[in-house]
Amino acid sequence: MRTSSAHVLAGYHWMAAPAMVFTIGMIGFPIGYAIWLSLSNVPPGGTPVFIGLDNYARLVKDPEFWNAFKLTVSLYVMSLSMQLVLGTWLGLLLGRSRAAQGLTRVILVSPFMLPPVVVGMMAIVILDPSFGIANWLLAQIGLPPGLWLSDPRTVLFTFAVLDTWQWTPFVALIVMGGYLSLPGEVFEAVELDGATSFQRFWHVTLPLLGPTLVTAAVLRSVDILRFFDVIYLTTQGGPGNSSTTLNILAYRRGFEFFDFGYASAIMITLSAVVLGSVLIFSKLRAAVAW
Amino acid sequence: MKLKYILGAAAISIALSAPVAAQTFNWRAHEGQTINLMLNNHPWSQAMRDLAAEFTAKTGIKTQIEIFNEEQFRARLTTLMQGKSADLDVYMSLTSREGAIFEKAGWYADLAPLMADKAMTMPDFNYEDFSASIRAASTFGNRIVALPINQEGPLFYWRKDIFEKCKVAEPKAIEDLPETAKALKTCDASMGVWAARGLRGAIPYALTAFINNQGGSYATPDGKPGLSQPNTLKGLAMYASLLKDYGPPGALNHTFTQVIELLGQGRIAMTHESSNEFANIMRFPGRAQDLGVTVLPPGRETKISKPVAIGWTVTISPNSQRRPASWYFLQWATSREIQTKLIANGVAPPRASVFEGQEFNKWIAEMPIRKAWADSLIEIGKTGTGVYQSPTERVPEARDIIGTAVQEIVQGASPVDAARKADEALAKLQ
Repeated sequence: MRTSSAHVLAGYHWMAAPAMVFTIGMIGFPIGYAIWLSLSNVPPGGTPVFIGLDNYARLVKDPEFWNAFKLTVSLYVMSLSMQLVLGTWLGLLLGRSRAAQGLTRVILVSPFMLPPVVVGMMAIVILDPSFGIANWLLAQIGLPPGLWLSDPRTVLFTFAVLDTWQWTPFVALIVMGGYLSLPGEVFEAVELDGATSFQRFWHVTLPLLGPTLVTAAVLRSVDILRFFDVIYLTTQGGPGNSSTTLNILAYRRGFEFFDFGYASAIMITLSAVVLGSVLIFSKLRAAVAW
Repeated sequence: MKLKYILGAAAISIALSAPVAAQTFNWRAHEGQTINLMLNNHPWSQAMRDLAAEFTAKTGIKTQIEIFNEEQFRARLTTLMQGKSADLDVYMSLTSREGAIFEKAGWYADLAPLMADKAMTMPDFNYEDFSASIRAASTFGNRIVALPINQEGPLFYWRKDIFEKCKVAEPKAIEDLPETAKALKTCDASMGVWAARGLRGAIPYALTAFINNQGGSYATPDGKPGLSQPNTLKGLAMYASLLKDYGPPGALNHTFTQVIELLGQGRIAMTHESSNEFANIMRFPGRAQDLGVTVLPPGRETKISKPVAIGWTVTISPNSQRRPASWYFLQWATSREIQTKLIANGVAPPRASVFEGQEFNKWIAEMPIRKAWADSLIEIGKTGTGVYQSPTERVPEARDIIGTAVQEIVQGASPVDAARKADEALAKLQ
């Protein structure tokens, strides 16, 4: 009977064809084309010429690439850790305070509803040391001015803070959702056992929130590694190369210096990094599942 | 190379003046067509958007105009051209920057045959009305690839009232600038003294006169990158130290928009910024009265004054399916009539007949600062250069490397080390 059903269903496999064609056309082709470009020398206005792995070999020897790689990873680590820590704290706070949930949720959603271009413009208006309001505010409370995005030593951290400001509420909402769905009897049992707040958080809440946190980390990882618009609008990768992440480097190589093949190789490498991080978190998710 | 272009332009001019069979030019020959234009955000583009209805009324050709900021403009243009898009008909190009790359890529249509066709070109077009150097910048061999729409270069703007209050004399030589800045700072420590471009790719435009005027050059006599030459180092060091010691905080992320804002708001005493921004500066209250404008002072010993002098151009995509209608737009937009109208927008006309014409002279006579601006443009038109990087076809990349060297000096690197590093990187582009 089962064999017969499977046989009948197999007869309808052709119905998946439109979805397959769409997937291949809209996802497979662009990725395949980008890989092809990364294996080619693409002169402006000319036809791509296959050069094998030359662009990747050049990439390995390019100090600018390694600098960009280091900056991308640094930004990723700073942003993700700040967002997970603050997001968890904020999410639990919201989950426990029922009165704050309605209005606060609406307010929380607003930063990550903003388009990146708006965040970039806000950063210029607020953080520019000559025009911005941030230094004025610091001066009012007697603190020294900062150079923010204009100092190579602080530029990357400032971007991490900007991204954290925008996306911590997103993590908080995920954590809040996860927390509210946890079984209440576990917490009651722990409370009866006389556990302290910290013990409750460390030994019960956090392990139970593990899968939720990993999901949030996956979603944010993909986004942070693609972080581009705000950097491009504010510093264009500067001062010097201090904020030239892999995205910025690829954009400049491709669109400003007409080095399309090499730019594609950088982007394919970045895509591999993104994919790698997603795979690592997938394994982690299985490990923390309960 | 430059001589080759000038000879090419001359040959084309002679060819164009040869007698041909009498044909009639009709402005409405392409009525009903629609052309797509992509323009860089610039006073000229904004004026074109406002005047486009006049073009449609005259020719019956409709226009769809997109204006982007320069970075977005270049990115979109590159994508469309690389994809051989037939959607784009007319676009702006800075031939002194990307001309060699675009020409090699085949991204310019040849305008010479259109110009030679009497049925296609208005009788009073007069290509020779554009100066030879301006024409040469858009001529590659026998091909004319674009028409000039303005002329521009960086000029020295200073606040006459502040100089007077502080009893500081205007700098007569470029070597006086650091002393002038110091005297102004001593006079009023709360006053911003200097601002200039600090964003790496934007720096060479304003930096070049600092190098040239002190006898330096981006290239060695044998055509190699020459930032490490003693006089070039002087220019690099002076530009960087003015920015570091007297510039606004955050200067390394500043380009003309921030510099003009600081000057317009009255927060700095002097700058070296584009002539193109003159109209924008004049919109700020008080600046027409208290500002002075001139060419950056020459070197004391060298007597050299050689700033950047360039012009934006407008051109046709080789993939355009509406080339004749596009050519009509180019003629109209660069005509004497339209250039005269653009004067009020602060667009310096590249046509000699407009620059020397009654309307332009009447306009500049209305305010002393306009006269000073026009005189400065005439001067840089004679003394300026369109080359502001070491010899290479990869111009944008070279300018980026030069700008990075300046940024490194501002951040504390030794000029010698920064220049040597830049020279090594520039050599790889040759």
